[in-house]
Amino acid sequence: MVTRFTLLKELSAIVPDDVLVLTSIGNNSGFWGQLKDREANLFHLTMGMCSPTALGLSLALPNRKVLALDSDGNLTLNLGVVGTIANEAPKNLTIVVMDNGNYLGSHKKEPGMPTATGGKMNLEAVAKGCGIESACTIEDVAAFRENIQRALANPGPHFIRARVEALDIDGPPKTKRVPDPRENKYQFAGYIQRTEGVEILGSGLGGG
Amino acid sequence: MKPAKAQLVVNGLKEAGVNFTAGVPDAQFIEVYKMLAEDCDIRYVGTANEAEAVGVGFGAWFGGKKPALILATSGLLVATYHLARINLLHEVPVLVVIPYRGDIGDPRWLGLYKKTTEPGLNAMDIPYRLVSRSADIVRTIKECNESARAWLKPVAVLLNEEALW
Repeated sequence: MVTRFTLLKELSAIVPDDVLVLTSIGNNSGFWGQLKDREANLFHLTMGMCSPTALGLSLALPNRKVLALDSDGNLTLNLGVVGTIANEAPKNLTIVVMDNGNYLGSHKKEPGMPTATGGKMNLEAVAKGCGIESACTIEDVAAFRENIQRALANPGPHFIRARVEALDIDGPPKTKRVPDPRENKYQFAGYIQRTEGVEILGSGLGGG
Repeated sequence: MKPAKAQLVVNGLKEAGVNFTAGVPDAQFIEVYKMLAEDCDIRYVGTANEAEAVGVGFGAWFGGKKPALILATSGLLVATYHLARINLLHEVPVLVVIPYRGDIGDPRWLGLYKKTTEPGLNAMDIPYRLVSRSADIVRTIKECNESARAWLKPVAVLLNEEALW
């Protein structure tokens, strides 16, 4: 198996600048923030909220690639979203699940309590059972690279279950500050406004 | 619920500029959900639970949509964590429309929701308006959506039995 950091490092090398990347809380946000300091990132998506947020964004901007960096514990809190994604079928959406099979493995020296995927649940089978045809499991860098590139080049939705080590034994040095949720909101929304020509920020006030 | 009342809710959403909705169908509001699902101007995403709907609406806002969540009183309880999160951490606007079961005058057993709905909204610091007259539905939805966008936070409209049935 491979570590989360190894895969995120690979993703940081191949992801195009204009792909909108949404990250779940924990080390998906922490590591990605160190690896890829860019305005097209939305961090800190809390338990159960990463893939739903990516779904809403992909439906709102159907011509823009959206990639969710989710995790097993985060996704299974709102697992029904996989069925919603299958039915709404956004062609521009890729869900990547860093599946380490446990809660809090990203923060502790010992694995936390197991998630459902640490038991019998197979998220690739869940995705396929929900109706996402493009669903796969990868366990090494080469397969990860190949499936990410295929997903970003072809109509989705895509679901990539990345089986990673239970613990984050490696990681990037912390040299950058990951923006807080409000700061990140303004950065991300401002970037989308500028590149998509949509109005997000502003209250409609200011007209007197 | 009479179709004419459901139409008032949809009209209110349109006048407010709402163009994206998410939620889980509720027996008392089913006509509204059906109208939204068939409407060409408002995208409706049916989710598996109301917390998921909050995430979907949150994401749609980042794509330039003007979202509303259509939540049952029971569903508000399911959605609370994610609503609190976007309200208090991210400060992102969203209109929340709730057919208010359990208000005074609602004769069924749903008094439970009198105890949870308004106290729950207050606990999450989500402002709301209570509508008891159908004539006020359109205007109130519009005003609450304007406030949500001005204040960068969720704002709720509670439509009680007197207004809807």
